[in-house]
This record gives sequence, structure tokens and C-alpha cells, in this order.
Amino acid sequence: MKSASTLSSAFLQSAGQALPEPLLALRANRASALTDLLLPTRKTENWKYSAKHLKLTDEMASSLPLNASAGAEADIQGYTVVLVNGVVRPEASNYPALEGLSIQRFSDLNGDDAELAADLLGKSISDQPAKHGSINLSLLNAARFEDGLLIQLQPGTVLNQPLLVIHHTSASHSGSAFPCILVAAGSNSQLTLVEDYVSSGESPVMVNTATEFSLGDGANITSVRLNTEGQNVQHMGTTGVRQQRNSRFASHSVGFGGTLRRHDLHVRLEGEGAECKLNGVVVTQGTQHYDNHTTIEHIAAHCNSEESYRNIAADKSHAIFNGRIHIHQDAQKSNANMSNKNLLLTNGAEIDTKPELEIYADDVKCAHGATIGQLDNESIFYLVSRGLSPRDAKVLLTMAFINELVAQIPVEQVRDTANTGLNQFFDQAFQEV
Amino acid sequence: MLSIKNLHASVEGKQILKGINLEIKAGEVHAIMGPNGSGKSTLSQVLAGNETFEVTEGDVTLNGDNLLELPTEARAREGVFLAFQYPVEIPGVSNLQFLRTAVNAMRKHQGKDDMNAAEFMKLAKEVSKQVDLDPAFLKRGVNEGFSGGEKKRNEIMQALLLQPKLAILDETDSGLDIDALKVVSDGVNALRAPDRAILMITHYQRLLDHIVPDYVHVLVDGKIIKSGGRELALELEAKGYGWLGVKDNTTASH
Repeated sequence: MKSASTLSSAFLQSAGQALPEPLLALRANRASALTDLLLPTRKTENWKYSAKHLKLTDEMASSLPLNASAGAEADIQGYTVVLVNGVVRPEASNYPALEGLSIQRFSDLNGDDAELAADLLGKSISDQPAKHGSINLSLLNAARFEDGLLIQLQPGTVLNQPLLVIHHTSASHSGSAFPCILVAAGSNSQLTLVEDYVSSGESPVMVNTATEFSLGDGANITSVRLNTEGQNVQHMGTTGVRQQRNSRFASHSVGFGGTLRRHDLHVRLEGEGAECKLNGVVVTQGTQHYDNHTTIEHIAAHCNSEESYRNIAADKSHAIFNGRIHIHQDAQKSNANMSNKNLLLTNGAEIDTKPELEIYADDVKCAHGATIGQLDNESIFYLVSRGLSPRDAKVLLTMAFINELVAQIPVEQVRDTANTGLNQFFDQAFQEV
Repeated sequence: MLSIKNLHASVEGKQILKGINLEIKAGEVHAIMGPNGSGKSTLSQVLAGNETFEVTEGDVTLNGDNLLELPTEARAREGVFLAFQYPVEIPGVSNLQFLRTAVNAMRKHQGKDDMNAAEFMKLAKEVSKQVDLDPAFLKRGVNEGFSGGEKKRNEIMQALLLQPKLAILDETDSGLDIDALKVVSDGVNALRAPDRAILMITHYQRLLDHIVPDYVHVLVDGKIIKSGGRELALELEAKGYGWLGVKDNTTASH
């Protein structure tokens, strides 16, 4: 039952008692900006295909309990931080005390660090005013977060193994969670950050996430995002990236469909010679939904962007890709390449893809391509004529469609989880008749 | 082995096969020749189970079993193998993975255990050498970026791996230079066995210099109009299909 029509009434603010003053001030400031903001509808341009999947109830308006336990986590190796309902659980986390690396929860921040976090959030790029009848739901995160993580890498610091952040939503009853992560990567630092969104419990919940990366000159950051939350979780996530000179940012995301799945990824290439590479794989089935919106802004000259997203939709599910490339006037010698390939496994499935190019510089290379197709009958016949079952043939062909991207995920543990999820997807999508 | 009786087949309402009768016994090699558009490839696709083609009349049995009732994969597991005229390129599916899945599907059907990756790799390397394919091809996508000749050798390699009862070779000689033709022919000759039948479909007789058939049939307009021994192919080469009162825009000789 939805009675609220504005964001501020749909999601109630709690005290945020544990936060340091600069973050509380920022939160209050963002909260006031929400007051008149309406919930997205199908007339909201960037929510055209997703608004109908947003199903809020009065029970979801309150924040989920801040003291929920992490429960039994899988056996996790390496550097790990666990957040439950958006709140850091130090007792479930395990990360190194390395020189040059600082991992702090918001409630522990003081002095300069608190100012830095407020500054990063305040300038967060996904926090820009909405344009063209669009709405930016990371605003909501900034107005409602209860805790978060500030990860700082001093110049030259290199983390030799991935840092895994588990965002656990404990949905024993209805409510909302607002996890927030800030990464400030000093010049020439290196980090692979894995964000794994998982859930337990069956009650309808909303998860509204914000992840912000700030890359100094020559920093090299890889972001891996995996979403295997339950079907009771509605997920709206935003990732913002700002890149200075010669920095490298790579993003690998694997998304399994859900009631509402939304990820907005916004990269700003602000310093010359910066490069980003964005890969995404989405599979949906049943009546699931997944909506990826990406924006790459070429602001400085001589920057490269390379983007490849692939969607597979089965049954009556719906996958959406909206890829925007904005080349600013001074961004001469930009090189941008965007590809989106889509595979429809049934007649009832729907895929919408929209490349958007805005180019204001005259000496640039900008290529984009989008395709939507079905499994090729000739290929199926070829494989089946060698004794493969039609199911195995379809699995091989479907896997081939995305394997190139899955294989590029630089963390084995994530690849394994992704492959397990994909196999479950295939079992459902290609039931042997 | 294979018995085809009065086989009629159509595609999109157009009748292509108009009453084919053919008996092939174990150990025999048969060649079907004919001008373009006579229905040669349709026959091979129908035997393999391509559902694009509709069988409107007739029977096909393999060792007494009704082949037409079986889905494509079951025919393959019963030992029907079609070497495609135009093997499909499937980027992203590794040749090795595909071949191992195929071999293990066959083994499962025969009540044998799966071959593990190491055992299969060893076997696949041996067989790839037999058709002069660099084992590096195993790691590439199925037929991905292969030349015409490499695709044909890949087909014969698959036949050698799967050890079918009935091997149907559809224009396996087309697009091959003389050296590749020799390699492919050697592979086919290695397939010849007392318990295996081979059906070769070809436009030209040159393949038959290398793989000598026991019988030759001439297929014209969906029917076999003449059958004979090896000498029939030579006669066709000398005289062309026109000799049989057939119009052909190409010539039967090379």
C-alpha cells in the first residue's frame, strides 16, 4: 500500500545519532532538498521503464534496525568489511592495518576525516540536480544514511588483494537501508573493491545505495559489483566516479534480476589521459526487472572510455540499458566506445536499449552499437546434431554471449558466485521439456 | 544399415525431395552426385533432423529403427553424423568444450563414464593431428575465424571423435585446395570400417578420386535417376549432367 507521493514522506528520517557533525549537517541539508521531490513515475524520463516496478509500502518507510546481526556469513577469505542494513559491523569485518590504507566507519570519523567525507558526499557527482525531467535517487541516500565507510588510500598505496564489502540486508521485517561507501584514492594508489549485495529474510525492503570513488592522478581502481539479493528486495544503487589525470577505473558488474533492480553508474573523466572501462552483465527471468543507466562524461581532453554491457532476458522479464556519453567542448581527442548487446530468450521478454550521445567537441572518436537478437537456430541445430541436448546447446550459446565479460572479472570468488547464479538461471530458463 | 523409402520433403511448401529410394549397407561408401538445386543438401539435412524441412511422405530407418521419429540429438546419439557443407561459426563457445560435451553425451548414451578434461585433451590432440589441424584450434571458438578448409577438417575431426555408424558428408570437398582435399580424404578413408556406412554428397567427381565409392547415384530434381558403380562418376565427368538429359548451369568436371 503506497500512500506517500514525495520522497521525504516515503522514507522517514531517523536520528542518525552516531554520525559526526559535518555528516549530520550534510544529511540535514540533503533531507530538506527531498521535501518537494516526487517519487518517480513512468513520466519521469530516466524511470520510464522502472517506475512501475517501484512498489513502496508504509512499512518500508522506516529504516531497518541498525543493530541487526550479520548472521552466518559464508566462509570469506581476505580483506572483508560487512555492513548490515547500511551499518558497519566491525565484529564481522576483517581488514588489514596497512600503512597508507585507512578504512573507517562514518560514526568513528572525526576532525579532518569527517570533513573529507562530508566534502566527498557534498560534491558527489550523482548528486547533481536532476535534469530533463529525470530524478536522481542517490539524493535519497545522502539524506537518509545512518553509517557508511570511508576508505582512504595515501598516494602510492597498493592493496595486493581485493577488499570485499558485503552489503547485507536483513529483511526480517519491512523497512529501508541506505549503505554508503566513499573511496578516496590518492595518486598512483591501487585498489580492487568488491561490493556484494546480499540479503536474508523475506519481508519487502528497499535498499538505496551510494558508492563514490575519487581517483587522484594515476590512481588505478577496479570496482566489482555483484547483486544476488532476494526477490523481496527492491534495489536502487548509484555509483559515482571522478577521475583525475591518467587515472584508470574499471567496473565489472553482474546483476541478477529482481522485483526492482536499478543501478546508475556515472563517470566523470576530469583529468587528461584518464581512462575508464565499464563492463556489465544482466540476466532476468520470470517477471524480473533490471535497469542499468550509465553516464560517461568526457570533460578533459585525451581521455578514453570503453563500455560493454550485455543483457539476457527470459520468460516475461524486462531488462533496460541506457548509456549516455557526454563529450564536453574542451574534451578534444576523446575516444569513446560503447557497445550493448542483448539476447531475448522468449517472445514475452522485453529489452529496451538507448544509447545517448552528446558531443560538443569536434575532434573526437565516438562509437556506439546496440543489438537485440535471439539464439541462432542454425547454431542450435549444429550443436544438437552432435548429440548435445537442446538444453545444453542453448546453455552453451547463452553462456558464450556473456562469457567474455564474466571471464574479465578479476576476482575468482566473484566469478564463481556469478557462474553459480548463471547456472541457476539456465536451469530455470531452459527447463528440459 | 540405412534404408530410405519413397522420401518426400519440402521447405516452406516447396517440394524438394520427390521420392528418394536408397539402401546403404554397413561397410559401404555411397556417393550422391547431382547438379545444383537437385536436393542433395536437403537430403543430408533431412537425415540429420533439421526441422526446417518437412517430411511429407516416406520412411527412413537406421538398423531397423524409424529415424524420422527421433529428434536430432537422438539421431546423433544413435550414430548419425552430418559433416556440414557450411559449418556454423559459434564465437565464444570453445571448440574443446563443445567437442567434450558432444563426446560425453555420446558416451552417456552408450552407458560409458564421462571423459575428464585431461583424457579428452589427449584424445583431441591426437585426432586433430590426423586431420592436420594445429591443436591450438581446439582452444578457439567453434569454427571462429577458420578458413573454409579448416572448417571442413574440423568436421572430419568431429567424425573421427564421435565414431558414427552413418557418416553423411555434404560437399566436404568444396572450397578445398588440392592439399587440403588430400588431408580430408585421408580422414574420411580412416573412417571406413566394416560396421560403418558413409554417404558422400558432391557436385564434382574429384573427391571420388581420393575416396573411392562402392556406389554412385545421380540425384536430379528430387529423385535418384541413375545408380551405378564408380564408373558412373567418371562417365558424368566426361559427359556432364547434360548427358542424362539434365540442364546444369555448371559443369560436372573440375
